[in-house]
Amino acid sequence: MADAIRGKGVISGIAIGKIMLAGQNLDGYLVNYQPESKEVESKKAQDALTAVAETLRENIDRLQKQNMVEQAAIMEAHRMMVQDPMMAQKIEEKLEENANAPQAVLKAAEEQAQMFEMMEDEYFAARAVDLRDVGKRVAKYILGVKEPELGDEKVILCGREIEPSVIAGMPTDKIAGVILGSGSTTAHAVIIAKARAIPTIVGLNKEDRIDKIADGDYVIMDGEEGKIIVNPSEEELAGYNEKIKKQQEMAAHYAQLKDLPAVTTDGVKVDLMANIGTHMDVDNALKYGAKGVGLFRSEFVFMGRQDIPNEEDQFKAYKEAVEKCQGNLCVIRTMDIGGDKPLPYLNIPEEENPFLGYRAVRISLQRKDLFLPQLKAILRAGVYGKVGIMVPMIINVAEFKKVKEFIEEAKLELAHEGKAYAEDVQVGIMVETPAAAVMTPVLAKYVDFFSIGTNDLVQYTLACDRGNANIAELYNHFNPAVLQLIQRTITSARENGIWAGMCGEMASDPNAAVILMAMGISELSMSAPSIPRVKEKIRNISSTKAKEILADVMKMEDGDEIKAYLSKVL
Amino acid sequence: MTQEVVTIENKTGIHARPASIFVQTATKFKSKVQIQAKGKTVDAKSILMIMSMGLVKGTEITIVADGPDEADAVKALKDLVDSKFGEE
Repeated sequence: MADAIRGKGVISGIAIGKIMLAGQNLDGYLVNYQPESKEVESKKAQDALTAVAETLRENIDRLQKQNMVEQAAIMEAHRMMVQDPMMAQKIEEKLEENANAPQAVLKAAEEQAQMFEMMEDEYFAARAVDLRDVGKRVAKYILGVKEPELGDEKVILCGREIEPSVIAGMPTDKIAGVILGSGSTTAHAVIIAKARAIPTIVGLNKEDRIDKIADGDYVIMDGEEGKIIVNPSEEELAGYNEKIKKQQEMAAHYAQLKDLPAVTTDGVKVDLMANIGTHMDVDNALKYGAKGVGLFRSEFVFMGRQDIPNEEDQFKAYKEAVEKCQGNLCVIRTMDIGGDKPLPYLNIPEEENPFLGYRAVRISLQRKDLFLPQLKAILRAGVYGKVGIMVPMIINVAEFKKVKEFIEEAKLELAHEGKAYAEDVQVGIMVETPAAAVMTPVLAKYVDFFSIGTNDLVQYTLACDRGNANIAELYNHFNPAVLQLIQRTITSARENGIWAGMCGEMASDPNAAVILMAMGISELSMSAPSIPRVKEKIRNISSTKAKEILADVMKMEDGDEIKAYLSKVL
Repeated sequence: MTQEVVTIENKTGIHARPASIFVQTATKFKSKVQIQAKGKTVDAKSILMIMSMGLVKGTEITIVADGPDEADAVKALKDLVDSKFGEE
């Protein structure tokens, strides 16, 4: 009888395949390692260095063939660290102290990492990350821990923590599912998985359930129920194959909606757009019938690398996404990074309250070296389609005015440099702080659009951490306080002749979409796989009926009551 | 022995990418190649040693080569630094 392991299903769908572990902790392996004589350990270390260098060389060739020049260059630096005479010398020194090859490698790498960390220049300090990465890789080889390697088969990626860059760096067609130990449904790894419709289960660190899953295990995972079956029986496989068939039928039904507009029975239209993390997600979004991109999370362009992406690198990434939108709007959000998702090369100190700290536009406005290249890259990408700039985390008009000054400066520089850019780029803000929502009647005079970011707006309005399982019930986008702020924002936009949209999780809730449409929202942006569900809901209701429901909802006093009422009438 | 003094001019100094190009170039030559800067002398074929020097923009370095192809080695490395490693 196969074991079933329970977690929290966050992205539905069924995946069957082999587990590939990511982000392993080596402690367990190190404790069990039996070292031999100094000579043998020394030989092991040398062999491992050679073998890892060879693997890296193969990776570099592959990356170069795929034209991923930047990543290839980083891997090349790693390869050289592995083969460095100083690294070999340090390892020998450590082996003299303790004849244990993996420990010696880790210590040698750590010592050099610390040396880099002490350097004042941030570029050099950030090299510590590379050295630790390299050391871990060589130690893994000696310990016999397999490097995740992508074959032809699809894999189910599993780990206590999975770095967003790990998923972002893998081709869409290679990941069948994601199993994540930590509990957050809004972790970046989950957000990427959502954009790619990869079945995902989280929360398996609880009671160390995740340890029951080993590398290479054959599993069935059900993203709807949050169930994982390790080494399933024939009957279980047959049962799930039946479910997969139903899933495909549903997908076929939704596929028929792809080219139809999201319009009510009495002709009110809403644009359904996609939230994306990388330009690679656009193709997938179009398959679901997205009419452009309502949120391009530009921070992914900044993640998984060793230094600040320059204007040229960013321009390429944005241009590709813009072109793929085929004339539909592509809204690029400027960098939304803070203490909760730090970048090694930005040197943002650890904060007690990262969500209330130095983040997003607050960093951009202080770091011209970051902000100006980004704005220039977006303005240049605007030549290739229709682009919007969205500024996150705004709390007052002054900040937005400063942003506009930066944009003017960026245009001036581009003109001087003789580079083509778009003059008509729309500039709007993400309404995600209660301050911004309250001030929308004023802000509307300055901005071209509002996009309501409900993930943070709910969190800040209700003073409720969206990742905290103990208070998860308080986090409800139907809370009347939240609904009032949303309605205020939409009304402010309409009264000032600009458009209002939404790019938070709430937009993908079909019941929420109905009342938002009744409030007068023009655009809803969501993870692409949610588009057909929302579209079907909108196409099956009249705006008159939706307005009646909205009137009832706005009279209610409690979020749970509203949620239950909508489930009943819709 | 051949040597030449150059100044690092690219904006980000010799960080991972330039350092790896530098070491790759140095490794192509048979001669022993060293860099002298900030009162230290290091092996130019070791990326770790080069990066450990923290060569930021404006640093003056001396490239020293000794061996059969020393003149070519120094010239190639000098050109590389002067070209700012193809960066800004």
